[in-house]
This record gives sequence, C-alpha cells and structure tokens, in this order.
Amino acid sequence: MVKFLKPNKAVIVLQGRYAGRKAVIVKSFEEGSRDRPYGHCLVAGIKKYPSKVIRKDSAKKTAKKSRVKCFIKLVNYQHLMPTRYTLDVDLKDVVSVDALQTKDKKVAACKATKQRFEERFKTGKNRWFFTKLRF
Amino acid sequence: MVAAKKTKKTHESINNRLALVMKSGKYTLGYKTVLKSLRNSKGKLIIIANNCPPLRKSEIEYYAMLCKVGVHHYNGNNVDLGTACGKYFRVCCLSIIDPGDSDIIKSMPGDH
Repeated sequence: MVKFLKPNKAVIVLQGRYAGRKAVIVKSFEEGSRDRPYGHCLVAGIKKYPSKVIRKDSAKKTAKKSRVKCFIKLVNYQHLMPTRYTLDVDLKDVVSVDALQTKDKKVAACKATKQRFEERFKTGKNRWFFTKLRF
Repeated sequence: MVAAKKTKKTHESINNRLALVMKSGKYTLGYKTVLKSLRNSKGKLIIIANNCPPLRKSEIEYYAMLCKVGVHHYNGNNVDLGTACGKYFRVCCLSIIDPGDSDIIKSMPGDH
C-alpha cells in the first residue's frame, strides 16, 4: 500500500544487455506515456563497477580503480527488481528523457552521472550499490 | 489435538472470507498480476499457496515487505486455493484489491 518505485530507489535490472546491474531510479512514469503504454522508469545504472581498492594502492592506481561506467535507460517496471536500498544522488537536473534523444546529449548525461557516482563511491557510502551482484 | 481443531476452524473461516471476497470484492489471480498490484500499490492482502516455488514465494514476500502489505500463507496447495476461489483452475497466489463486504483484511494480517 506504500508506493516504493520512487526516485532514489536502488533497483536491479533483470533483462536486456544490462541484466544483473544495479541502477537507481531517477524518474518514474507510473501510468506510462504515449510511446510506452506501461509503467516504466528512467534509471541511471552502473555499466562497469569500480574495482576493489586496497590501502596499498598508490594514488594513481586508486584513481584508475575507482572509475565507474554508467548507463541511462528507460526500463519497464517488469524488468526491474526493487530493493530495500536507496541512493540519494541528485541526478534530476542531469538525467532526463530528452537526454536520451540524441547520442551526444546521452553521452554528456552519462559523463555527468559518472562524476556523481564516482564522487559518491570515493566517500565510501552506499557500498552495496557499488559492489557487483554475484550470480 | 486442540491445536488441530483450531486450525481447521480458522481454515474454514479463511475459505468463507475468501468466498465473500470473490463474490463482492476485487481481486487478481496469478503471479504476474500479483506483482503488478504490488507495484502500483493497489493490493491490500496477498495469499500464497503452500506449494508455491520458494524463489517465487520469497520474491512476493520481498515486494510485500517493500509495500507494507500483509502476506497470508494459505494452508493448502494451489489446487485447494483455486477451489477456495471457486475456480476450476489452480491458483498459486492471489491479491485482494478491494475486500468488498469481507473483513479478511482486518482479521488476517496478524497471522503469517
């Protein structure tokens, strides 16, 4: 009775090229839209997880290992598994549906989310979100 | 022996309440629609048969936990649950959207 597919919810993508990847809901379209007459949401997820960083690593190596590669996608609710975790990263201004229209807008949006994700990873919070799901 | 008698009586009362929901309320039958009703937060009570595959059972319970909706584990398999709903097919899980005249929502969620 409580809506849980809200922005900032961490979800796992179940189908498609990004199956098994963790993502965060940026905007949800409960009733669908004209092009997509089903419930769907705009997610920003991790294409390539950051590697494990150990204390022994030099600064250059840490920087290289903390890189995150992102994706932005519109996904059907049926192809998502919601989790109890949330990730409060402000992506609303950066990620939007019109960012998906052209390739260069999408690349720019991905770059901006990459920055936000990387700085969140470096603080050490939301550790679950940045670890790969083993299956 | 007292415990066995008590479960038989409550089991029949669940069946009665379910019959009343079928007659006067709104419900959906089946795994896909149960998940849909949980996603758009229309479901008020979920009933799962006892021979539901454990992965599916865990998944429905997880969604219900996120949604804060009660789950009732029906004391019978999908054949029995289908019969209790008055249908001639098997029902593994069902979601009650509007109980109608029944008090199933008020009396069931205490038990799991």
